[in-house]
Amino acid sequence: MMDLEVDENNLKAAGAELFADDGRRGIRISGWSIETRRHSILNSSAIQEWEQKLNTSHLPEMVFGENTLILRHFSSGTRIHFNAFDALCGWKQEALPPVEVPAAAKWKFRSKPSQQVILDYDYTFTTPYCGSGNIEIDKDVNEGEISKETSDILWEDCKDQIDVAALASKEPILFYDEVVLYEDELADNGVSLLTVKVRVMPSSWFLLLRFWLRVDGVLIRLRETRMHCVFGGHTSPIVLRESCWRESTFQALSAQDHPFDSGAYGDPSFISQKLPIIMHTTKKLVISS
Amino acid sequence: MSTDLDRQIEQLKRCEPLKESEVKALCLKAMEILVEESNVQRVDAPVTICGDIHGQFYDMKELFKVGGDCPKTNYLFLGDFVDRGFYSVETFLLLLALKVRYPDRITLIRGNHESRQITQQVYGFYDECLRKYGSVNVWRYCTDIFDYLSLSALIENKIFSVHGGLSPAISTLDQIRTIDRKQEVPHDGAMCDLLWSDPEDIVDGWGLSPRGAGFLFGGSVVTSFNHSNNIDYICRAHQLVMEGYKWMFNNQIVTVWSAPNYCYRCGNVAAILELDGNLNKQFRVFEAAPQESRGTPAKKPAPDYFL
Repeated sequence: MMDLEVDENNLKAAGAELFADDGRRGIRISGWSIETRRHSILNSSAIQEWEQKLNTSHLPEMVFGENTLILRHFSSGTRIHFNAFDALCGWKQEALPPVEVPAAAKWKFRSKPSQQVILDYDYTFTTPYCGSGNIEIDKDVNEGEISKETSDILWEDCKDQIDVAALASKEPILFYDEVVLYEDELADNGVSLLTVKVRVMPSSWFLLLRFWLRVDGVLIRLRETRMHCVFGGHTSPIVLRESCWRESTFQALSAQDHPFDSGAYGDPSFISQKLPIIMHTTKKLVISS
Repeated sequence: MSTDLDRQIEQLKRCEPLKESEVKALCLKAMEILVEESNVQRVDAPVTICGDIHGQFYDMKELFKVGGDCPKTNYLFLGDFVDRGFYSVETFLLLLALKVRYPDRITLIRGNHESRQITQQVYGFYDECLRKYGSVNVWRYCTDIFDYLSLSALIENKIFSVHGGLSPAISTLDQIRTIDRKQEVPHDGAMCDLLWSDPEDIVDGWGLSPRGAGFLFGGSVVTSFNHSNNIDYICRAHQLVMEGYKWMFNNQIVTVWSAPNYCYRCGNVAAILELDGNLNKQFRVFEAAPQESRGTPAKKPAPDYFL
């Protein structure tokens, strides 16, 4: 568990309050509740259930199915959240063709056993997922009886950019956490990892959802979604969302005099700038209270 | 001689690595023992079978608490001693020292991580040796020893044990016996398959991984292998199982996983398989070592001003 020393005075000045219980921890601040939950990987019976629901016979080796980050805006009922299930739905939909590992070339010349089945699902678990969200409003149906009405949230295209300069200032961090949603070691051929991390400051919250893929000797793929929301007093809060997809082959990297060995590509933060951008979008969510 | 070794074992049990010169001498002695072993090493029951450890030294100590100390308990480890965890050096050296001290009470077979190529990538053993010794010599001694590790074990002629699984190039145990194993794990062929392949529910015969390399084998492959070699079942490791062990194909093959809370975050339990003198089975499930027994404080990350 990531326990962070937070100065009580900073919390008080920001009118914020931390909470924690049983695998769940978070902060209430400026009309938002931001929390993470952290549990074990799915057990065998849960995996079977998920496989049925997702109509697949393969899931990542480690699915942290109950891990989540949830950001709730109280007065509007807006809920932005991150979970492995929705991310894997995205994987199923995108259904990229498999990436061959370097050893595959040699295997083509092996005498094949008869009746061999070649599996062709995307074992990298690449997903276009950039978060889930909805608006939940309590409707008073009858006297005392409350029903929840759910609607989708609407992300609009926009030209605004996330204010990186403001985020680079060393404003105190009141809450920080990172949760893994799923992970696979690609049978020791690299790594596929989907994580989300969040930090909450007195003036804003900021999060980074990152899908990181390294197929050793073949491919590096980084799909990042950042969201930023400045606490705005009385105005309707706006959440900015930037998604940036980067990708390169090992061959292309070494052609630019970057190293070829996987050891150089352990940390996505360092390698990110070397990877060409293949997709970039910015959207915003206006939250009307 | 054995008093020196006993001292080294005690030291390793405290998770303190040996000196480089001691590692060199230990590896030389181990080589003399391992070179005599068969590719299908005979193992007598009672025996306790253990799956992947992956450098999780303190969790391996939990394993010994549950299973009993070596040599009192006879052990068979199915490989993947190194990489991923923080203590690959101490983990492998302790097992190797026990092997040298009690050669008939512990059997170590090779996993796919016991290879130069895999440990030198991002998985940790190479970097750990470099960090702990300031040179790669210890990594060299250890990876040279990896080449001598046996490829499989046969318990009382009834239970076949291997790290990964079967190979389309192998239908009899005698075919395994003829492999020249003293080499780096090849990228293909029978030896590679034994260390790398996986059972797979959705194929019946043979399947090829979507990666384009790596075999998958189904129920009928296991049935015919067990039948032609007159064995009861196959015991293998290699794949993480949340519950510590998992039977497949009507109890014809079992996966045993012995790294609890894998990578220090999965929250899974681990298991070992105890066989008594009559080959009666008992799975012993255990959890990760408590944080306070690990010697290192829990990581408290500084506020991360990620962008």
